[in-house]
Amino acid sequence: MQRREFIRQAAASTLLLAGGPFAGNARAELTGYRSLVCVFLLGGNDSFNLLVPRSAAEYAVYAQARQNLAIPRASLLPISPLTTDGASYGLHPAATGLRDLFATGEAAFVANLGSLIQPTSRQEAIEQSVPLPPQLFSHNDQQDQWQTIRGRRDLTTGWAGRTADLLEDALTDQLMPMNASLLGNLPWHAAASALPYSMGPTGAVEYLLLALGVPNAARRRQAFEALLAASQSSVYGRAFSAVNQRSLLYGDRVISAIAGAPPIATPFPTDDLGGQLQIVARLIASRDVLNMRRQVFIVAIGGFDTHDDQNELQPGLFAKVSNTLAAFSAAMNELGVASDVTAFTMSDFGRTLTSNGDGTDHGWGSHQVVVGGAVRGGDIYGTMPSLEIDGPDDIGGGRIVPRSSVDQYAATLLRWFGLTEGQIDLAAPGISAFTLRDLGFLA
Amino acid sequence: MRRSLRAPVLVLLASALVSACGGGGSSGPPPTPISPAEASRFLTQATFGPVPEDVADLQQRGYAGWIEHQIALPASRQLPYLGALPQPVTQVDRLDAFFQNALERPDQLRQRVAFALSEIFVVSDQGALFDQPLGLADYYDLLSASAFGNFRELMERVTLSPVMGVYLSMLANQKADPDRNIRPDENYARELLQLFTIGLVELRTDGSVRLDNDGVPLPTFDQAVIEGFAQVNTGWTFGGSPSFEEPSFDFLRPMEPFEEFHDTQPKRLLGGVTLPAGSTARQDLEAGLDLIFAHPNVGPFIGRQLIQRLVTSNPTPAYLARVAGVFNNNGGGVRGDLAAVVRAILLDPDARAAPTGDTAGKLKEPLLRLTALFRAYDATAPNGRYLIEFAAPLLGQAPQQSPSVFNFFRPGYAPPGEIASRGLVSPEMQITTEFTAATFANVLGSYAVSQNNYADDLAPDVVRIDLSTDEPFADPPARLVTRIADRLTGGVVSPVLRAEAEAVAAQYPAKQGPFRIIEVLNLFLTSPEYAVQR
Repeated sequence: MQRREFIRQAAASTLLLAGGPFAGNARAELTGYRSLVCVFLLGGNDSFNLLVPRSAAEYAVYAQARQNLAIPRASLLPISPLTTDGASYGLHPAATGLRDLFATGEAAFVANLGSLIQPTSRQEAIEQSVPLPPQLFSHNDQQDQWQTIRGRRDLTTGWAGRTADLLEDALTDQLMPMNASLLGNLPWHAAASALPYSMGPTGAVEYLLLALGVPNAARRRQAFEALLAASQSSVYGRAFSAVNQRSLLYGDRVISAIAGAPPIATPFPTDDLGGQLQIVARLIASRDVLNMRRQVFIVAIGGFDTHDDQNELQPGLFAKVSNTLAAFSAAMNELGVASDVTAFTMSDFGRTLTSNGDGTDHGWGSHQVVVGGAVRGGDIYGTMPSLEIDGPDDIGGGRIVPRSSVDQYAATLLRWFGLTEGQIDLAAPGISAFTLRDLGFLA
Repeated sequence: MRRSLRAPVLVLLASALVSACGGGGSSGPPPTPISPAEASRFLTQATFGPVPEDVADLQQRGYAGWIEHQIALPASRQLPYLGALPQPVTQVDRLDAFFQNALERPDQLRQRVAFALSEIFVVSDQGALFDQPLGLADYYDLLSASAFGNFRELMERVTLSPVMGVYLSMLANQKADPDRNIRPDENYARELLQLFTIGLVELRTDGSVRLDNDGVPLPTFDQAVIEGFAQVNTGWTFGGSPSFEEPSFDFLRPMEPFEEFHDTQPKRLLGGVTLPAGSTARQDLEAGLDLIFAHPNVGPFIGRQLIQRLVTSNPTPAYLARVAGVFNNNGGGVRGDLAAVVRAILLDPDARAAPTGDTAGKLKEPLLRLTALFRAYDATAPNGRYLIEFAAPLLGQAPQQSPSVFNFFRPGYAPPGEIASRGLVSPEMQITTEFTAATFANVLGSYAVSQNNYADDLAPDVVRIDLSTDEPFADPPARLVTRIADRLTGGVVSPVLRAEAEAVAAQYPAKQGPFRIIEVLNLFLTSPEYAVQR
């Protein structure tokens, strides 16, 4: 389907749903610069050990549920949310960076999020009496749900891809695609028209034999480009040619822009995640050279599928995420764009409160972290769940039913990014099932 | 060193001789001889890359005869090769063992099917198995030993492998302890069903999805079934362990059960079947695997993926139904006969008839583009090894190095654009990005330009290709292009590729043959023609 056709059809369906004229195709005001940076925690983060109740009654419930996986109460890093639900909370002892960002108002938690089709009670989830997202608890399907929020729709695009389609006409002067990935092809970016650009974990790479200054490079490039421009008799050949053409076009631009960007003094952790976010920071620093006004990045860190050895693995995982987000936040402050850049986490799903001995299995609801100058930080948004086994939020084995949906999370981020309400209905079509269209964590 | 490369003209002669001798004693017309292009296409599906000897062998034996000969060859194993190296060995050594077999050994079809199985029954050195190259090699040998056996036997060997046991945490999984909120580990139970055998939704034999009355795909299992299989998978640890809590850490023998850690409660499994209380770990395991193996999804679920690894990303429903039908019954009443399934995949009219339409074939996996180059151009290192550092980041994939149990790409991946909008898939496109396209072009180009016989400053462990055998063909340029097309693309070359390749060759005078070879080879290696198999 052509992009315009997609937008027209999608807009028409919105009009029907809304029952009247709707600003579905209104042009957004895309002033200034804004960037969304997703940090995907691959494998399903056990966030119930990252943000933990500290008050005596709630901690006792938590400890009873988690048994040998519980974080000792005395080791929790206390936090002081701006608003209270009656309980007090702390962070995993490895999350010092996040604790500091929370204290300075640069970070917030969004509690108990998950993929949902409509608001769903524990009983409804257990009885499956309301539509639920397909294949809950399956890694790739739930990564897909977080990225596409398709629910049970027959949609092949992701919410970043749909956003890029909606903004494509307004961003024609950008010299690289709005969407950039540091971890390959993802459902999140799948678009009808506005395709993403994929870099590696160390940034863009050039075709070495075609590079400036290499003998015979110009002649080689001419021949290579002729091959890529030739008509191909197979869909696979066409797809292969198109990727190489995009790689040639954008690789040169990105490499030279990064090389010419102002240096960033803030040190980043020298691990995989630190390296990825440092590349993102450099690209944000080169935004003016590339005429970028809206950008969406995604980076990732693996290892969260803690079926085994959770107590040994979690400190390293949480320290890495926490320290790298702190470095990224400092770098954005250094560049003077802290209020223009919002980083946020996504993850396959939460994990079971119960254990399989030394680890946890696939759950559903989980907490996420948002970081940036525009974040109404120092607070917890959404509703913290009961952590009682067989309690009011447990659908079995300590799998927690989410109280806020990924649609609401995405809609909140996209509104800040500059989408109109009508455009949000197109980018996050499931939002209509939820009363609250904005979870409130962005100013 | 490995083989003498004959010119295609000799292959053509051999082909003519075969057809002149006739195909046997039948009174009908002699079988149509297999052309070099047809042979190259078949060997691209069935081996790690066509070479003249295999073309001649195939032309002499015919497709079915070649397959039977391959099935009868003993399996080349990785573990003995690694065992003979100075210890301890590394994952780079393990990849060397893979390349030794994939590039040098005669049991090409078995090794190719084993590679396909390694992308379905995924284990990876990325994580807890990083220090177990011997265990991973033994697991790979398990796959090659099982490649032409029965699928049920393969399921059991994989399930009881301590390598899989560690990777998906069935090893040391124990019965529930309700007082401590501990329940059996669900990891292996889920992936055994979801990824290794039946998938998530009910399938017809032709691979189409069965829907309920509301048009929603029928799920194959629910969470309760996962929990039932998690109970089944309790009580197993390393073979030869003195006790459950004193593991032997022996990665080279099957896991063994300790009954006191096995869950003896009743277990609700697939299709409403409940296993009775009180069974042993092995009884439950056998019964659970039997139940999965009998599920009608296995044939289309595994059949589609094997077709995708060998022949085409988008098999027609009829092609898949024929292959799944053979899985269900090999003609002799046997279910799960993998040799019969491989025959059915490669001999099917959809695999053998001249490709038509624009969805035939597939994008070649990058690793297979590399092995095809290595085999065609006799890649070696003076030390006899294939020591390739950073294989996965450079190629975008490497054997048993996937980032997760979901392999480097999913069977259902559809890149946005034409392929997705037409409802097609191209799994290999999932690892074909702007970044990997350039990175891999650089890898292939480095062999064409600098890791070859003309470089005189390479360390003895650097793998290099031999371009000297193209020198007699370097003039005129048209002859060189034909020569390289014969070696890399079965002689198939588009008008644009031919024109551009001749032009890059003609930049150099005839006496600079090596420069011509390098430039033409580099262009071929980065071309869509080389990246795609039809």
